[in-house]
Amino acid sequence: MTTSSTLPPAAPAPARTPPAGPAPRRPRRAAKPPSALLSKAGVTALLALATLYTLLPLTWLVLSSTKSREDLFGTNGFAPGEEIHLAENLKHLFTADGGVYLRWVANTVAYAGVGALLAAVFGVAAGYAFDKLTFPGKERLFSLVLLGVMVPGTALAIPLYLLAAEVGLVNTFWSVFVPGLVFPFGVYLARVFSAAYVPDEVLEAARMDGAGEFRAFCRIAFPMLAPGFVTIFLFQFTQIWNSFFLPLVMLSDQDLYPVNLGLYVWYSSALSQGHPEDYLLAVVGSLVAVAPLIAVFLMLQRFWKSGMTAGAVK
Amino acid sequence: MLRRTTAALAGSVTALALLATACGGTGQGASPTAKKTGKVTFWSFVKGSDEVAAAFNRSHPDIEVTFETVPSGQEYYSKLTNAVKAGTAPDVAVVEYPHLPEFAAQGKIEDLSATLGPVVKERFPEAVRQLVDLGGRTWAVPRDAAPLMMMYRKDFFTRHKITVPTTWDAYRNMTEQVKEADPSARGGVLYTDNPGLFTALAWQAGGQWFGTEKDSWKVTLDDGPSKKAAAYWGDLARKDLVRSLSSLDPFWTSVQKNRTVAYVCASWCAGAHQATVPDQKGKWAVAPVPTWDGTPASAMYGGSSFVIPKGADHTGAAAEFIKWITTDPEGMKAWVSSGTSSMFPADPALVPVTKAAFGTEYYGGQDVYAVGTESYEAIRKGWTWGPVMGTTNTALVDELPKVADGTAALPGVLTLAERTTVAQMRQRGMKVTAP
Repeated sequence: MTTSSTLPPAAPAPARTPPAGPAPRRPRRAAKPPSALLSKAGVTALLALATLYTLLPLTWLVLSSTKSREDLFGTNGFAPGEEIHLAENLKHLFTADGGVYLRWVANTVAYAGVGALLAAVFGVAAGYAFDKLTFPGKERLFSLVLLGVMVPGTALAIPLYLLAAEVGLVNTFWSVFVPGLVFPFGVYLARVFSAAYVPDEVLEAARMDGAGEFRAFCRIAFPMLAPGFVTIFLFQFTQIWNSFFLPLVMLSDQDLYPVNLGLYVWYSSALSQGHPEDYLLAVVGSLVAVAPLIAVFLMLQRFWKSGMTAGAVK
Repeated sequence: MLRRTTAALAGSVTALALLATACGGTGQGASPTAKKTGKVTFWSFVKGSDEVAAAFNRSHPDIEVTFETVPSGQEYYSKLTNAVKAGTAPDVAVVEYPHLPEFAAQGKIEDLSATLGPVVKERFPEAVRQLVDLGGRTWAVPRDAAPLMMMYRKDFFTRHKITVPTTWDAYRNMTEQVKEADPSARGGVLYTDNPGLFTALAWQAGGQWFGTEKDSWKVTLDDGPSKKAAAYWGDLARKDLVRSLSSLDPFWTSVQKNRTVAYVCASWCAGAHQATVPDQKGKWAVAPVPTWDGTPASAMYGGSSFVIPKGADHTGAAAEFIKWITTDPEGMKAWVSSGTSSMFPADPALVPVTKAAFGTEYYGGQDVYAVGTESYEAIRKGWTWGPVMGTTNTALVDELPKVADGTAALPGVLTLAERTTVAQMRQRGMKVTAP
C-alpha cells in the first residue's frame, strides 16, 4: 500500500526503480526518491525475513519433535534426525506421569476456551451498554475501564494472589479461571464495534416494536456484533492461553496446571537433573500445544481480519 | 487464612539482626514440642520428590505428606515468597543454598535451631553447615552437597597422550592440547546462561563474595582470588580454548558431538551426564577439580536444602519429614531409587546408600563417590551466599555472553555485579559497608 501511494498514477505497476521526476499531486513526498526499502523487492525481502523469523522456530519444533533423544543432541536442529521417532514421542507424551499432559490440555481449554467465551459475552454486553445506553457516571466508569486496559496483567498477578489467599481460592480452578473473565480491552473494543455496527435507528425501531432493552440486545444488536464478538474472543483466548505468571503463583497442584506451566516444569529441571526425556517431552508437548491455537485461528481468521480493520475508517 | 503476620514481621527484624551480629537469642518459631502428626504439604522441583513423599507416607502412618511439583528457577522463589506473604505457604519447601540467606533475612522461613539445629550440628560437616547456619541460627537442613569435580573423555586423552590436569596452569595446557589434537574439540566450557559454575570457581580460588561484620554486610565480589579466577576463565573463553555455551541443549549437543571432551562440574553431573549422553558409555571418567596451588581445594555448584516456611501449619510433622528425607538411610534411598542420580548426600554417613544405588558401568567401574568425598572434604570454609542472590545472579548472567565475544572482561563483570548487588541491598534497607 505504501509503495503504490508513492508512485504517480501514470507509472507502470511493477516499477522496479522509483520514479525520478517530482509527481505533480504530492510534490513533498516525491521530492525525496523513496528508499530502496520501500520498493517492491525491498518489501518482499523484509516480509520474507519476517516469515523466516516466524517459521524457523516452528521448523525447529517440528523437526525436533520427530527425533529420538540421541538425535536431539546429536544432529543439527534444522536437519531431520536419523530416524522418525514422532509416534514414540507422542505416546510417551500422553502416558508420562500418568497421562498428566492431557489433563493440562483439558485445563487450558477450560481456562482459555470457556474463560474467553464468557469474557467476550461480558465484554460485548458492557461495550454495547457504554455505547447505546445513558446512565449516570458513564464516562467516568469508562475511564476506569480504560485504566484497566493500561495495567498489564502480569502486574496484577501478585495483588490477585493476595486477594485469592484472603478468600481461600489459592490453588483452585477458580483462581485462574475468574481473572480470565475480566477483559477491559474487550469492553473498549466492543464499544467501538457497537458504534460502528449497530445503527441507533435499528434499535429505535426495535424499541418501537415493543422489544425490551435485553431483547433488543440479544436479538438485534448481538448478531450484528458477531464479528466483534469473535475478535474479542480470540484476543482473550490467546491472552489466557499464553498467561504464565498468574497460574505460576496461583497453582501448585499439578492437576490444575495449564499446559504451558506444565511444560515449563518439565523443561526447567530436565537437563540439570539428568532427565533428557523430560526435555524431549517439553519439546513434543510444545508442538502439540500450539496445534489447537493454529486450528482456532485458521477457523476464525476471517472474523479476526474483519474485526481488526473494523472502525478504521469511521 | 490470615496467619501470624506480626510474627513474620518480628521474625524478619530478628533475622536481620542475627545475620549481622552472629549472636544467639531465645528460640522462636518451630518449637521442639510441636505435635508430630498431621498433614504436610511439600513443595519441590527435585526429581524423585514424589517417590520420597510416598515412601515417607508408607513408613509414617501419623503424618500425611502431599507432594506438589513446582518449576525450578527464579520463578519458584518469587512464588514461595508470595505464598509466605499471603499465608498460603507449604509446610516444607526446597531452597537451594544461594537463596537461603534471602529467605532468612526476610523472615520468610522458620528458625529451626531448636528443632533440627542439633541434628544439623551432629550430622553435617562445616563445609555445608556454613551454608545453612546463618547468624548462629539453623534455617534449613541440607540434603545434598555438590562438590566440584572434572569430567573428561578418557579415550580422547589417551589417544592424544594428554595428561589429566591437577592445577589450573596444567588445565590451560590441556585445553590447548585438545584444540590442537582436534580443532573442533574443546577442553572446557563457560556457561553463558548460568553463573553458578563460575561462582563456584571463584569460591574455590578463595574468593569470599559476602560477609557480615558487626551490624552490616560486606560485599566483595571482585576480591583478589575472584578476580584471578575471572581473568583466567575470561582469557580461556576469549582465546576460544573453552566453549561459551548455554548450559541447556547447546552444551549437551557439544558433548554428544564429541566437541566438548572435558569440563568442570559437580558431583550430580555424573548422573545427569550418563542419562543425557548414554551412548558415550565407558568413554568418560571423573577427576578431582584442578587447583591453583596443587593442594586440594573445592567448592559447591548446586545442592539443595529443606526449610519450613513461616506460617506452616504443622511444623512438628514438617520437621520430622525433613529429618527423614535428609538424614535417614531409608529416606536417602528413596531419593536415589530411580538409580540414575549421582547426588552426593550432605551427610557423609549416607554416602554408602547413594553409592550403592549408582551404577558404575558408565564410568568404567570408577568410584565416582570417592572423588566426590575427597572434593567434599576440600571445600573452602568461610563462604556465605548473599542476601539478594537473585539480583546478583541476574547481573552476572546479563554480562556473561559479552565475555565470550570479547566486549566485556570477566573481572569487570564482577565489579559491575557487585555495584548492582550493593544498590539492591541498600534499597532493601540493609547496611552495607563498602569493601
